[in-house]
Amino acid sequence: MTVKEAAPRPQRPTITEPVWVRWLLTAIALAFLGVFLLLPLAVVFIEALSKGLGAYGKAVTEPDALAAVRLTVTAASISVFLNLVFGVAAAWAIAKYEFRGKSFLITLIDLPFAVSPVISGLIYVLLFGLQGLFGPWLNDHDIKIIFAVPGIVLATVFVTFPFVARELIPLMHEQGTEEEEAAVSLGASGFQTFFRVTLPNIKWGLLYGVILCNARAMGEFGAVSVVSGHIRGITNTMPLHVEVLYNEYNPAAAFAVASLLALLALVTLIAKTAVEWRTQRDRKELVEIQESLTP
Amino acid sequence: MTVLLKRRSVIPGFGITLGYSLLYLSLIVLIPLTTLFLKTASLTLAAFWEEVTSPRVLASFKLSFGASLIAAAINGVMGLLVAWVLVRYRFWGKRIVDALVDLPFALPTSVAGIALTTLYAKNGWMGQLLDPLGIQAAFTPLGVTIALTFIGLPFVVRTVQPVLQDLGVEVEEAAASLGANRLQTFRKVIFPSLLPSVLTGIALAFARAVGEYGSVVFISGNMPMRTEIAPLLIMTKLEQYDYAGATAVAVVMLLLSFVLLFAINALQWWNRRKYGAR
Amino acid sequence: MSIEVRNISKSFGKFQALKDVSLEVKSGELVAALGPSGCGKTTLLRIIAGLETPDSGSILFHGEDATQSSVSDRKVGFVFQHYALFRHMTVFENVAFGLRVKPRPQRPSNEVIRQKVTRLLELVQLEWLADRYPSQLSGGQRQRIALARALAVEPKVLLLDEPFGALDAKVRKDLRRWLRRLHDEIHVTSVFVTHDQDEALEVADHVVVMNHGQVEQFGAPEQVYEHPASPFVYNFLGNVNLFHGRIVGGNLQSGSLKVAAPDALAGEERAAIGYVRPYDLDVQRARTNGSTIEAIVQHIHPVGPVVRLELLRRDTQDSLEAELTKDQFRELALSVGEHVFVSPKNLHIFAADYAI
Repeated sequence: MTVKEAAPRPQRPTITEPVWVRWLLTAIALAFLGVFLLLPLAVVFIEALSKGLGAYGKAVTEPDALAAVRLTVTAASISVFLNLVFGVAAAWAIAKYEFRGKSFLITLIDLPFAVSPVISGLIYVLLFGLQGLFGPWLNDHDIKIIFAVPGIVLATVFVTFPFVARELIPLMHEQGTEEEEAAVSLGASGFQTFFRVTLPNIKWGLLYGVILCNARAMGEFGAVSVVSGHIRGITNTMPLHVEVLYNEYNPAAAFAVASLLALLALVTLIAKTAVEWRTQRDRKELVEIQESLTP
Repeated sequence: MTVLLKRRSVIPGFGITLGYSLLYLSLIVLIPLTTLFLKTASLTLAAFWEEVTSPRVLASFKLSFGASLIAAAINGVMGLLVAWVLVRYRFWGKRIVDALVDLPFALPTSVAGIALTTLYAKNGWMGQLLDPLGIQAAFTPLGVTIALTFIGLPFVVRTVQPVLQDLGVEVEEAAASLGANRLQTFRKVIFPSLLPSVLTGIALAFARAVGEYGSVVFISGNMPMRTEIAPLLIMTKLEQYDYAGATAVAVVMLLLSFVLLFAINALQWWNRRKYGAR
Repeated sequence: MSIEVRNISKSFGKFQALKDVSLEVKSGELVAALGPSGCGKTTLLRIIAGLETPDSGSILFHGEDATQSSVSDRKVGFVFQHYALFRHMTVFENVAFGLRVKPRPQRPSNEVIRQKVTRLLELVQLEWLADRYPSQLSGGQRQRIALARALAVEPKVLLLDEPFGALDAKVRKDLRRWLRRLHDEIHVTSVFVTHDQDEALEVADHVVVMNHGQVEQFGAPEQVYEHPASPFVYNFLGNVNLFHGRIVGGNLQSGSLKVAAPDALAGEERAAIGYVRPYDLDVQRARTNGSTIEAIVQHIHPVGPVVRLELLRRDTQDSLEAELTKDQFRELALSVGEHVFVSPKNLHIFAADYAI
């Protein structure tokens, strides 16, 4: 048993750098972040509004833009749903049981992160494209995957594949199997155990994974660009629509649509931070409870 | 999958969850990736070699790897500094800054691409500052490096931050009580403890930068032999229906990614083994 | 080198960790700072080391004011409760650290460093671990390496913060005896913090007992134990029986017990408490001369060489604890429920306005 000193400790260590060093380092860090993060973000909104609110409104409500929004939301919802189901299943199998090849399986799940987005698109072209493995067969049966919505969804699913799983695996592993074993010993079924015991414990991690997965799904550009074919109003997602407008020398409209995506990014950051604070608070409370229980 | 042996457990659902996971993994990731190698196999070795050593491909590799390495190195230094400032110092707006570090993860790459291009074009905010100095950022390798620095920025910060947080104040106090000054304490005690996480962050940032497409294609200008990155070359070859050529370049990049992935895992494993559990 | 602590106060926010603490440690002594958690003993140690700055007061080393000098200038060896070994360095490099960071003109050559580190590792009897990493050592070994590392810079003062706090009971006992022998060998002025009274009383030349940020008593172990200066010290060091009562006519009157009070308290009538160690309670079957209390035997615990009796006073219904030797107990042949007569042999009286 270790005895904890009850007296509060100072927040900051007494030993630290001289004040001028602290100031200098902070200033350099903030300047770096200012130039590399804040400026690009500011440019998006300023350029978006450069032609006035009317032009902005027109740019984001024209039919092609709305079609892009619809396609983006569709592809993202399907990807999030599929990867959520997979993430929970994989985390359950990996965290709650011991088996051989587990760490190899975890590496495989992370694989899509290591693959360039362009290659992620390319592999589906090689599979389903006209010259691809299944291309002739699909053509005969008049099924279009590449340069159509299914291809976009597939590419999006691939690039967002690991997000939910990699948030849940460490979290569920950390929580161990005791509670589930207790639930099963009390007669709960597998589904009851999951929904009543496991899910409440992982809900914040799950939400965190979904937020990240959704942000990447809506914003994916490279992979989707390969498989989309850039058909305006049909296979353009928002990031692709931004590109098309920009390349047509219509920067104000491009930035207007981009500003929607930037807003999405900011909302993602806020939600992510909120979830992080929430988990930190829960964990702190847990530690306090545990400490108050040990004499 | 007979190699997967389960230890006895009372919790139900092992078969179905693992089975589903493996099926889904195979359908979405493994089988599609395998086609890449199948497609390459249709090339003879000589043709493959000729493809990946053609001047245009080599130039794109040189640019992609070179700019990624420089960007990752910049992020190594600045990421360490940002993590240090965020963990150790207190200043107004720290939590907002901390949250903002993840912006490159959250901001769609095409948005980042057009924003950076506008910023560094000759008449952009940064371009105006750089132009009198004779520095051209947009449509040059420098622009590519800037975009890749942006995209890799969070990696080092996020790998170093938790390690720095967990690093006990006690070891620093111990170093000070043994007569070390602040710089010696940092060099000999703090930095070696952070080095594995810095390297991991650099490797992750590098891996991401090599494959990056969206944020680069706008600012690079895409001039063959000069500012054409490897992912863009794949795209170009695809648009010309040169599937074999695109696949060959992709395979080289993919193999490099695997090597990096392996290196990152090995680095973490080595670190855990040598210095005890953490 | 002597250490003098003069009127040190320190607060962390609203919490006052030290209130006007003064203390003098003579050169070459081994002093234990003893007290419950949160009593300020660790803060005092950290202030002596320079790891914390006091709000007021001063620290003198060998008569010279060191309050303003930084931790790296004070030449103190500090041993941390959780060792604070450098994880990425071998045991050898850990011990050599203090020598390697010396300014270049004073830095010894590699050969000198090697000899010195080897000698230190021999001193802590761990020379065979030189090439290991801290993660490969046991807790006790880590603590000895931490000690060797602190000694490498030839500190004038050695400060140890709960040095054995994280170890299990058996290792603790071995290590504290070993520390005593080591101190007899090297004679460096040392202060160690502990919450374990056995550790303090067994190892130290002097013990400073602290509570609520103040020094309760400073003295040799037997003095502190036999003649506690305050009810707190009485309570903190070992078990004690309390006799609540009033001082009337120069005597403490507690139930049917009447004992002469010291002159200092004899003046006016006031509430007071008498303190008696369990082994200072005389237990008899028959009423003896002098003031006695009648009590009922409630429980009998034979523990090792002593027999512990739980007694219920018949006059006040308070509980008492008495300790008899095996022989005494056999002679009395007591069993539960029997009536006995108890008289304190050695009773210390403190006025009751001492809050504990």
